[in-house]
Order: sequence, then structure tokens, then C-alpha cells
Amino acid sequence: MELSTADSVDAALDELSRRGERCRVLAGGTDVMIQLARREITPEHLLHVERLGELRAVETEGSTRLGALVTHRDLAVGRLGPGYAAVAESAATVGGLQTQVVGTIGGNVCNASPAADTLPALLVHDAEVTLRSVRGSRTVPLAEFVVGRRVTTRAPDELLTTITLGRPIPRTGDVYLKVGRRSAMEVAIVGLAARLTFDGTGVVTDARIAVASVGPRPLRSVGAETALVGGTGDAESVHAAAKALLQDVDPIDDVRGTADYRRRVIPGLLGRAVRVCAERAEG
Amino acid sequence: MDVTLTVNGRREQVEVGPAETLLGMLRERLRLTGTKEGCNEGECGACTVLVDGLPVDSCIYSAAATSGRSVETVEGLADDDLGRDLQAAFVAAGGVQCGFCTPGFLTTLVAVLRENPEPSEPELREALAGNICRCTGYSQILDAVAATISGRNRR
Repeated sequence: MELSTADSVDAALDELSRRGERCRVLAGGTDVMIQLARREITPEHLLHVERLGELRAVETEGSTRLGALVTHRDLAVGRLGPGYAAVAESAATVGGLQTQVVGTIGGNVCNASPAADTLPALLVHDAEVTLRSVRGSRTVPLAEFVVGRRVTTRAPDELLTTITLGRPIPRTGDVYLKVGRRSAMEVAIVGLAARLTFDGTGVVTDARIAVASVGPRPLRSVGAETALVGGTGDAESVHAAAKALLQDVDPIDDVRGTADYRRRVIPGLLGRAVRVCAERAEG
Repeated sequence: MDVTLTVNGRREQVEVGPAETLLGMLRERLRLTGTKEGCNEGECGACTVLVDGLPVDSCIYSAAATSGRSVETVEGLADDDLGRDLQAAFVAAGGVQCGFCTPGFLTTLVAVLRENPEPSEPELREALAGNICRCTGYSQILDAVAATISGRNRR
């Protein structure tokens, strides 16, 4: 195995184009270094991209664009500004401070863990990911990029460079809630992000609900979203939304919790998320 | 491959492997064994060191990535005013029992208090979430931090 450090995005793309599948991209390393130690991955080459300062930028004028190397800590302290509470809250629950200061958003997306905290938060903000290669550039919705448990549609020569989020909308509240056995250093048993937009009379006009750790990949529940729109976040619409959400998930039993437990906590979690969104939309 | 970096203020040139961790480099090559290996997967914080002032789990941090950077370990805290105060306060408050987690707590706390000299208790607890201690129950560690902060304010 060998390692090289890319000093420009173009140089990184050249390297990826030459080496393809034999190459593993190393950013903060909080996942890759563990996978190497466990011999879960055995690449011929490690391409260290973490020095590419241009991929650390956050743009909030116009659309919100963040470079793939923006760290969880950057997000947790609110670098995206108001309107993205769910993203900040999800990033703040990724490991501890030590993980957050080096772990990157691009890494969390490409690792595509079923339990990835940031993915539901990005999904409720209509995230799109931009991938570059020597062949060109493409931008795809996050929901079409993460397609299975630890599976993305990234081609071996592509580098995820940018994540673009929808603009903040007035009278909107968003939140990320996580169920774990303890409040710190937990892999989610269930993670749930919500973003609700209300009209002047308190009726939900737009809803986004996404969950993690309840299926092979984090996903949005269009059924739950539809059930919430037109209601006021009342018990009845939340009940209908929870029912729809439970139809969209496919949890398993694992060391952290049973499938049955995951199903049981979802309705309460959704109800809490709706209440927090309503409060934040007013504030 | 060779990396050149600063460790506790001293310039070092070290030969490292491509998948080598910063923890391995510090303990095996530089013989700085104050940094401890706990879980070896970024969960417990015992191996925390500072890279350019940021607390990282050295067990999952690439040694090669430290090229050109400044690393501070618990050994370096003896030359650091805040590091010395914290260590004295840990001893006085009973914040050290078996001691295995202590280097990680101290380095994390140095980074946290440099950025924010007077964190609230919730802020402190959150900042220390990545450091696990199985002996003290954390109370004595928090007491030690409180004593450090008030001691430094009196000076």
C-alpha cells in the first residue's frame, strides 16, 4: 500500500482516474482508518485529500453550498447559519469532539452508513451532491446517490466535492432527534430529521421527514410528509404520518436495539419533531 | 514515507507507513508512551493528542496526515501553563484514579479551555463526551476543571 497527498482537486482527479477502484480516498480518516485497521478494506493506494482547502468552503449567499471537507464541528457550531438547525444538531451527535473536528461531511455521505446522523438532516434540506472526475462533473439528489447499505453511485474515478442544500424558507422549523442508549458517543438506534413549513394560520404547507438506522439506508418518507401537509401538527395528522412512516421503514434487530423497539419509538419521536419544528417556525 | 512535523515544539522527521496511525508513530517510533491506546477505534478518547491545536483521537488519525503540522501530547503539557494547572488540579481533586484516561482528558481539556477559558458545565460535559473514564464517575474530573478555572481567574 502507498499513500499520496493531493495538492489540488485536479491532481486528485488525475490520481483517481489512473487508479480507480484500487484507490481509497482518505479525508479525516475517522471511518477509513478504522476500516484499514480491521482489514475491511485493503486498497493499493490511499489518496489523502484533506489538505484541499478549496473543499472546506461554505457558501451561504444564494444557494447553500458546502465543500466535502467541511467538518462535523464546522456544522455543529452553526457555520451554515440559521435555517439549518437539523444539520447542526445531527453533526453535533457524530461521535465526540475528537471525531467532529476531523470527520468530514463528504466522508459521512460517502461512507453511507445506515446510521449516518447527517444524512436524514441533509435529506430534509433537499441535498444534492456534486461529483467530479476527469470526465466532467455531475450533480445528483442525495437520495439517488446513497442507494443501499454502504453503497453509493460514486464511480471509482469520482470525487465528491460539494453538497448543495435548499435555501432556508420563511416560517419553517427543522430538527434532528436521535434515540440512543446514552446521549453521547452513540450510533443511532433511530435518527429522525424533520423540516416543516407553516402558513400564517399554523397549517403545514410543506413537510420533509427522513430517518436513519431503520433500514439499509437513510431515507425520506413521502407518505409521512403527505400526511402532515394540510394539518396543524395535530395528534391526528401526526398519527397518520407515523403510520405511513412505519410502512416505509425496514428496521432490523442489532446490538443496539430490536426492530420492534425501533418501530415503537418512531411515533413518539415524530410527534416530538413536529412540535419542535412548530416552535422553531414561530421563533 | 518520511513526514516532518513538530512534536511538543520539537521538529521531528519520522519514517511512517501509509496506514500507520498517529498513535503508533508517537508510541512506537518517538517513544512518547504517555499517550494511551484504549479502544483503538475512536470511541474512548484515551489516545487524544492535539494536532494544530485540535483534539484528535490519534488511534484513527493518519500519521502521514501530520506532515508539516504541530502535535502536542501529554508529555508537552509539562511545559504548558494551562497543562500544568490542570494536572495539579486533577491530582488535588482525585481526578486521577487508574490514570489510563488521564492523558486524553488533559489534552482535550487544554484544547477546550484555550478556546473557551470558562465553559459552562453543560458545555464542558459535551466537550468531554468523547473521553471515557471508568474510575472517577467524572465528578472529580469536573471538580478539577472548576478548580483550574477559578485558580487561574484569581491569578
